[in-house]
Amino acid sequence: MIFQIAHAGHWLTSVAYFLPVVAFLIWLAVTQFRERRREDR
Amino acid sequence: MFLIGHGISVRSDLPIPEWLFGWAAAMVLVVSFVALAVLWPEPRLQKPTWHPLPGGIGRVLASRPVEIICGAIGVFLLGLTVYAGLRGTESTAANFAPIFIYVIFWLALVPLSVLFGDVFRAFNPWRAIGRAVAWVARTASRSELPAPLEYPAWLGRWPAAVGIFAFATIELIASNGDKPDSVAVAALAYSAVTFIGMALYGVDRWIDRAEAFSVYFNLFSRLSAVETRDREVGLRRPLSGLPRLEPLPGTVALVAVMIGSVSFDGFTGKRPWNSISPDIAQFFQDRGLSPQHALEATFMLGLIGAVLFVAGFYWLGVLGARSVGGGFSARRLAHEFVHSLVPIALAYVAAHYFTLLLFQGQAIVYLISDPLGKGSDIFGTADTQIDYTLIGANGTWYWQVAFVVAGHVAALMLAHDRALALYDDNRKAVRSQYWMLGVMVGFTSLALWLLSSANA
Repeated sequence: MIFQIAHAGHWLTSVAYFLPVVAFLIWLAVTQFRERRREDR
Repeated sequence: MFLIGHGISVRSDLPIPEWLFGWAAAMVLVVSFVALAVLWPEPRLQKPTWHPLPGGIGRVLASRPVEIICGAIGVFLLGLTVYAGLRGTESTAANFAPIFIYVIFWLALVPLSVLFGDVFRAFNPWRAIGRAVAWVARTASRSELPAPLEYPAWLGRWPAAVGIFAFATIELIASNGDKPDSVAVAALAYSAVTFIGMALYGVDRWIDRAEAFSVYFNLFSRLSAVETRDREVGLRRPLSGLPRLEPLPGTVALVAVMIGSVSFDGFTGKRPWNSISPDIAQFFQDRGLSPQHALEATFMLGLIGAVLFVAGFYWLGVLGARSVGGGFSARRLAHEFVHSLVPIALAYVAAHYFTLLLFQGQAIVYLISDPLGKGSDIFGTADTQIDYTLIGANGTWYWQVAFVVAGHVAALMLAHDRALALYDDNRKAVRSQYWMLGVMVGFTSLALWLLSSANA
């Protein structure tokens, strides 16, 4: 599929909807990593 | 399709961008999650209370005469649908059959089930006919009928999942699925299958587990504060019917079909689908399918993909919850938490089809006077018009956001309550719900994107 720079506004708006999911996944990964480290100690 | 007006409108003057509503909704979920973890330390929904309606009203509402009248109305409406479909005008908007099935039956019964409990059970025409036939056979033979076959345990709710998927196929994919005669033929074919199922496995067993619409509306009715027990209508705590949902095979598939089919309906209006679907259709055409069948095959692939996506996303949450520990298998956890997806399914249906029900639902006023669309005016309402000014685009959006948020918060409550009952350690229960929170945030973002005017 060709990257359409002219439509960047369209897909950026759509991406914005899913940023909370990305943010949540990052938080979840960090939390899990910390808990594993704590358990290893 | 003929059904216009669900969300096809331009919103203006919103105080914040649409996508920011998505962020706010996600924040509401996170805050709700924290509030549940702090303020809801004991399971409250697992053992529901129930009180009969005062003054014997509950017994009257669930009495045999009322049941017979409701069943007769259901049978009449099924007969009218088939007759109008076969004998009425071919114009979809002017015929009782498609509007009644796709709008009144399929959509209006959802909020009615949530408000008043399992109303479809009372009006179910197949159940009414099955019970009437069994009664006549018993009376004529003056003996008990032979016992039905034992319903296979592995079958669970799979027939219902297949039935709802078939309905979605006719509604969203079949190019003539909205034609009155197609609706009538589909109703007859489904009736035949249901009668065979009831004859083999017994009326109540087939209705409770396999008859697609009974199972579908029963799931929504479990959110309701109204429940019928032992021939008496009573009240219980809202949501408390869902934790008692028996974890039968096929339940996850059924709920995935419910959410996936609505998601796919929204997705077909988005740019990614409109960019890729012509190429897929061309692929099928190159292999000998007609343009119409190629398009139907493309849409079928999309629908299957949407259902698998929803099921996969849920399983991702389940696998995450399993990683917390507790010794539960993924299969067990999938069944333990599947009831929490029902409010999400409700949120998707309510938000996506809100305006369709509000606007096209009005068509029933003129169709009851002229069900065949051939110029009759039985009740003097044939000239009634649909009022499209009932709600504006912005008002619709606010309602949609409210439905989505409320449905997902309810889902969080159900999942949290089940986790407290399941895990012996409250800390572990809350940690397992991090993953369910992720699932809820994902479904919220997806729902609002599908409803938004963003078209990337």
